[in-house]
Amino acid sequence: MRRAVLVLTAVLTVGALVSPGGATADTSDAFSATKSMERVFEEDGDRVVVDERTVTVKVDHTKNLRGRERVQVSWSGAHPSGGRATNPFGEKGLDQEYPVVVLQCRGRDDSSLPAARRLARETCWTSTPRQRSVQASERTALWRQDAFASAADREPKSGLSPFPSERCDDVERLSSRVTPFKAASGTVHLSCSATTMAPEAAADAAFPPAEVAAFTDVDGNGRVSFEVRTATENESLGCSSTTPCSLVVIPIMGISCADDASNECLKTGQFAPGSSNYSGEGVDAAVSPVYWWAESNWRNRISVPLTFATEPDVCDVKDSRAPTAFYGSELLSQASTQWAPAYCLKRDRFKFQHNRMADGAAFALMERGDAAAAFVSGGQEAASDTRVGYAPTAVTGFAVSYVIDRPDNAGELGELRLTPRLLAKLITQSYTGSTIGQQHPGMAKNPMSINQDPEFKALNPGLDSIAREAGAALLSLSEASDVVESITTYIASDPEAAAFVKGQADPWGMVVNPSYRAIKLPVDEWPLLDKFVPTSTQECRRQISTPYMTQLAAPISSLRKIAEAVLDGWPNVQTKCTRSSVSDPWKMGRVDRQGIGSRFMLGVVGLGDAARLDLRTASLQTKVTRGSGTAFTDASGRSFVEPTSSAVLAAVRTARRSEQPFGAFALGPATTGANAKAYPGAMIVYTAARLEGMAKADARKVAQFIRVSTTEGQRAGAANGQLPRGFVPITRNGATAALWKQADAVADAVESQTPSAADEDGEDETTPEKESPGGGAPAPPGAAPGADVPAAGPAVAPPNAPAATTTLETAPTAATTSSTGRLLMAGLLGVLLLAGFGAPAVRVVALVRGGRR
Amino acid sequence: MKLRPTRRGRTRAVLAVLLSLAVTVVLARPADAAYAQIEGSGSTWSEVILQQWIADVDANGMKVTYNGGGSSQGRKAFGQNVTDFGITEIPYQGKDEFGNVDSAGSREFAYMPIIAGGTAFTYQLTVGGKLVKNLRLSGETIAKIFTNQITNWNDPAIKKDNNGRVFPSLKITPVLRSDGSGTTAQFTTWLDKQYPAIWRGFFGRSGLTSYFPRKGAAIAAAGSDQVMNTIASASGNGHIGYVEYSYPVNKKYPVVKVLNKAGYYVEPTQYNVAVALTRAKINQDKGSDKYLTQILDGVYSATDPRAYPLSSYSYMLLPTGAKDQRMTTAKRQTLADFMFYSLCEGQSKAGAYGYSPLPLNLVQAGFDQLKKLKTADPKVDIAGRSVTRCNNPTFVAGNLSKNKLAEVAPQPAACDKQGAGPCGGGTGTAPTSTEEASAASGDDKGTASPGTTPAAGTPGAPADAAVPGASGVVDPVTGAPQAATATGGGDVTAVPVELLAGRAGDERVFGALAAVELVALVVVPGMLAALLRKRRRNA
Repeated sequence: MRRAVLVLTAVLTVGALVSPGGATADTSDAFSATKSMERVFEEDGDRVVVDERTVTVKVDHTKNLRGRERVQVSWSGAHPSGGRATNPFGEKGLDQEYPVVVLQCRGRDDSSLPAARRLARETCWTSTPRQRSVQASERTALWRQDAFASAADREPKSGLSPFPSERCDDVERLSSRVTPFKAASGTVHLSCSATTMAPEAAADAAFPPAEVAAFTDVDGNGRVSFEVRTATENESLGCSSTTPCSLVVIPIMGISCADDASNECLKTGQFAPGSSNYSGEGVDAAVSPVYWWAESNWRNRISVPLTFATEPDVCDVKDSRAPTAFYGSELLSQASTQWAPAYCLKRDRFKFQHNRMADGAAFALMERGDAAAAFVSGGQEAASDTRVGYAPTAVTGFAVSYVIDRPDNAGELGELRLTPRLLAKLITQSYTGSTIGQQHPGMAKNPMSINQDPEFKALNPGLDSIAREAGAALLSLSEASDVVESITTYIASDPEAAAFVKGQADPWGMVVNPSYRAIKLPVDEWPLLDKFVPTSTQECRRQISTPYMTQLAAPISSLRKIAEAVLDGWPNVQTKCTRSSVSDPWKMGRVDRQGIGSRFMLGVVGLGDAARLDLRTASLQTKVTRGSGTAFTDASGRSFVEPTSSAVLAAVRTARRSEQPFGAFALGPATTGANAKAYPGAMIVYTAARLEGMAKADARKVAQFIRVSTTEGQRAGAANGQLPRGFVPITRNGATAALWKQADAVADAVESQTPSAADEDGEDETTPEKESPGGGAPAPPGAAPGADVPAAGPAVAPPNAPAATTTLETAPTAATTSSTGRLLMAGLLGVLLLAGFGAPAVRVVALVRGGRR
Repeated sequence: MKLRPTRRGRTRAVLAVLLSLAVTVVLARPADAAYAQIEGSGSTWSEVILQQWIADVDANGMKVTYNGGGSSQGRKAFGQNVTDFGITEIPYQGKDEFGNVDSAGSREFAYMPIIAGGTAFTYQLTVGGKLVKNLRLSGETIAKIFTNQITNWNDPAIKKDNNGRVFPSLKITPVLRSDGSGTTAQFTTWLDKQYPAIWRGFFGRSGLTSYFPRKGAAIAAAGSDQVMNTIASASGNGHIGYVEYSYPVNKKYPVVKVLNKAGYYVEPTQYNVAVALTRAKINQDKGSDKYLTQILDGVYSATDPRAYPLSSYSYMLLPTGAKDQRMTTAKRQTLADFMFYSLCEGQSKAGAYGYSPLPLNLVQAGFDQLKKLKTADPKVDIAGRSVTRCNNPTFVAGNLSKNKLAEVAPQPAACDKQGAGPCGGGTGTAPTSTEEASAASGDDKGTASPGTTPAAGTPGAPADAAVPGASGVVDPVTGAPQAATATGGGDVTAVPVELLAGRAGDERVFGALAAVELVALVVVPGMLAALLRKRRRNA
């Protein structure tokens, strides 16, 4: 039964492949509500309305949520915000004016329910005491001056009776208020100090606060992506399939003031609408979110009922069967994570594990027999003659994800268009980053960051032109990966991008970084070639002579970490100078997290991670119908496509079967050609396994995995064994039929393990290398005596004779350049010239003679 | 339409349901059983394998987050109750270099070993445009390099380590960690214990540090990833830095073979590290606040020919207080089961990632620590989680007294002995099996083509010389006997030759030559043709 429900909900969530910020396909579990609210000042017993708003709140989906899933909350009609904080989450968001507070609370906002199942201030989660407790002088204790406050709330001490003065270090003469947190277990956490908070609350934890004081633009609109937490992530809050919860949205209107209120209460804000408060200056408390719990604010709340999905069954940690590990591509990560329980939970299956590793390294492990199978996303170079089959297992790809804020707090950029040339400019480190980078030879006229580039501006209008180091970098992988290969293939096969890399200036005069000029593409590992060390007056830079461009690029070793960096708006640029004291030397490290409102960051991610974390993904250029190679001012004549299911399928439809039996399909610009609708980042992940020499038991497991993953593993959904978002199902019919057919055939071939024809003489080809001396470790093929000499010279020379001590004369392989050598060189030139002139001369003579005759 | 099952059919159906129920009971935990998300931060040394374990236990319903910000940061966050666990290479120091408190404050905790590995020295050194992959260094040379006493790759000490092989005249650039790092702490502990005169003269005092002092030509980068980037970049020629072995392995970059006390230059493979760590002394004083922390003097001076001297292991800071403000039964259960997985099954993949499985003594010590979670909270279930069920490559779960490690760990090649070799093959490839390990000692990775005989592959060596006197196993590149027992053929010296990184003069000459030839190629035929035509016309 539970399964059935899960399947159903899974089907409901099938929509766009990656729908960051976009609408989910199904709208039946969306929420919308409108509420009128006002701020009043009491004057001699009359209530004067000073502000009146009608706010509409919408939430894109609210049902069957899973842990850390993001829901999109948007609103209109709210009071415009001012004094935007760089980080609106948790207590960092308190120093703003007129934001919209969004909280997750246990219970439902329904007065007919028993108290235990009703939401209240005490069941709303916040991560710091400052969001719940306050001590203030009588004049600034605005909650006591609230026109809507009850008599009890007007008392000097309120929130809990008797007031916990001792445990909260309360000062007798001050006004105090606590809003304790009531955990799902019934425990009451006073929440007036760090030690009296619920256990899940911690400042600066790896796991950031979800509650937010979000910004409303000057037109009264705003939106925020809210990460919901289940009992797994937050036990005290305790939301689950059996414990309903709600989102509480409180548009801050300002405290409504009673007759005797102080001037503090009557304040209406010191920051202009749309302004920023990046230095964290004080704000007018009356219009800040710090008193979200005061009756004036709390009564304006709009509550959104949420329901949570049943947690799927999981493997038992005590299951002592040895796992069978498949090594390889991180692109499959989200799918393999969801698949794993579907294997361990069945007696007739095995304990499946996916060990993330670079495609090439994983393939090598598989070939050597150290791994049962490898996950790769393209044909790999074989190190032996062992036959290997590639079974298509998942259709996914890479994306360029981004987080970019539009200027003047106008919200996030919703669509980004990138051309292969823009990607080429980023990965060749051709933007200078800052005035420091402008010293780089041969790049003085290049823009400092991509948002200054006329090509980028033409395609993505409306952004600022502020130079930023993070805008000169595309955070990518430091290790070898088929993803890097795929990106560089995309660049290499575009005429404009290829010309740029070869050294031709773009139509606006930007040139490639000379260190990367004419680099041979594609590559599977991006090299860091730039050696430029800037001269600077900065003491730190004078002390440390590190190449600057490498610090900007600073690639990292996993796609997942890139995705998280983009999610956090935290570039990996390594140019922050720090030292522990003035007498210590300077050191360089990662720059700070970007403030919300001024974020600008790009990173290469897998489509699975992008979907799981709801990252925004760029549209990539597919086709240029006019104006190729010339300057342009808008996107006309150019087609771009987002990584949607249909765009990925359009690409996969063009994939060509390999000429090798069971080989990897060809997929890329060469096959998609000029198909404007095909997503260029589409990739196929294969299960690669040996077709001979594998132990029967392993062969059966691999065959079973291929069969299961291409059938039940291709049903889209969130349940165990199903295919998560970010992947396109491989089906028996339709665009992916050829993939399915090959997977099916490879499963059979893996299971049968038939030796190839070449093995008919009875010799097992897979083992002898390790047995015969040296078979597995020969010198490079065809190594001429001199070719390898500088590196291996002495290694080749010494220990051949079994005698005691021998001194072997080594031929002088050193790179000694004598003047004689140079003279000889000149001589050689003479000889060559003589030959060059001589040959035609002979012919001339012959001709002349012939003519005479 | 209604189908009435026959009686037998019904019985079968009931049986099937019961059976499937039974299966579920055996294999699955109830979905709502108490696991709660746990958070940790710290070491980047152990981050690579930790992230893999975190991905693995997701299948068990455990949600773990980890943030690699360096060991110092991990200890600090744990002490301030910001995280549920920390990962660090060294114990709390009381006070750090800057006089700041480095302690867990009032939080009760235990040190629990989680993964072993070698602190590797990875480098970029090119000769004639090719990457050197078999550099060997003694501990003393390494100490002098990182304290700026040896500053050029052509230094006689390096020549001696490489049995007379001379490297080009090129400045050495040590690459250090700029953030507070356990890798730095491990390295400086070794320096302080093994080369006190060299280290203390440089550091200005005794002891370890998490913040390596940056002086002279050295540069510093934040995190192991960035150290690796700095060394592997185009401007990294001549750079050398220290990272956990998994970083160069994943980057396919070479590591230094370090001289051990048995006189062999060895690589930090999983077995070489495990062999060395059998000499680790553990603080067994249960009353001590450093209970179960490592005393590595025995590791540094291990005399087994396989032992890698800079072997060590990482700890988890495990919250053991019954009143810990962040702990709940569900979190403790998650910690217990996450660690049960890591100590047992998780160790089996250590080698593939460039780590080393914890040997039996440390796994058992880890289990003792886990029990403290049960002591703190009787509701934590640790039944059925014991060392006897562990799938660890260094011991046999059913027979703990059997020393499997000694059997599987391969001996070093003869050409790796001091005064012999150097061996020709590469490093940094993390062999994962015995055969692989022994083959790799002479293997030139990546270019290997099976089937060629050693003699054919090494034209410099006479064919019959490939048959050594001693053992039957032959190193294919050097032709040296490969077993540790081999003695014959070891003492061979080569006449060293100075190697230069490049030849500036040649570039000029060749450049000029190419230019002249190009011009000639273009101009001469035309000139000749013109001449010819002129002559014809004249004729």
